[in-house]
Amino acid sequence: MAVRPEVPDGAAEGTLTVWRPVQPPYGPPEQFDAGRRAAGAALFAAGAAERKRFVPREPDGRPGFPPGFPGSIAHTDRLAIALVVPGASSVGVDIESAVITARMARFVLRGLESQTLLPPVGDYTMRELFAAKEAAFKALYASGALEEFPFWWIELAEADGVLIASYRGSQVPVWIRSEPDLSLAVAIRR
Amino acid sequence: MPDSEAAVRKRIRGLLAQLYGGDSFVETVSDGISLRQAGVSSHALVALLVAMEDEFGFEWDDDVRPEALRSIESLAGHVLSLQE
Repeated sequence: MAVRPEVPDGAAEGTLTVWRPVQPPYGPPEQFDAGRRAAGAALFAAGAAERKRFVPREPDGRPGFPPGFPGSIAHTDRLAIALVVPGASSVGVDIESAVITARMARFVLRGLESQTLLPPVGDYTMRELFAAKEAAFKALYASGALEEFPFWWIELAEADGVLIASYRGSQVPVWIRSEPDLSLAVAIRR
Repeated sequence: MPDSEAAVRKRIRGLLAQLYGGDSFVETVSDGISLRQAGVSSHALVALLVAMEDEFGFEWDDDVRPEALRSIESLAGHVLSLQE
């Protein structure tokens, strides 16, 4: 199993994080279950009342975290993670273990992002930037102020060592940490 | 001759099945349901869009309508609109 990255420093304060393994046969239903188990445990760790530890699926498919306990869920085919950040405005998380091919990167990254964030100018990998956009999408879309849009329409730029994700005037910082086989991206609007 | 809508949907299902290593998950995804709601990951969605370019011989526009990417039904509708 892949080594789990720690939650990046800038996102760690006040963040409750729970990982759960995905059970065989590792399909989308099992991934969903692992994510919901992780979310329930994260809500428990955050002190949510028992009746608030169930995370239903909203009509649009998003997980419905209880008021005051915004959170987010992500999974690969083997591992799920849930974050809860009590008091935050919105939260987004993503984990990625799969290879992002050059053609997939063409979808996800704009020219300027490729030029400034990928080597040799930048230090990020395509997998990290893919995860960053997905985490940012969850945080921005969860705010409820935006219509659904493709997550790759979000623009990324670096400022003071932190990625800033932007879409139509809304912004959210994104922190990233990676191990060789797994990248973790966390976006929090406080 | 343009493909029928049913044929395009079937070919998109075939691409999804390749991404998921079989039909078992894809058979649970109805044509009209949001792929995100059905549990298709962002990685799988982008991989599907890339595979569709090869399968149907077109390139996605950067400003494609988000609604076109929502479901197997809408993806098939987009392909057919390009063949008209």
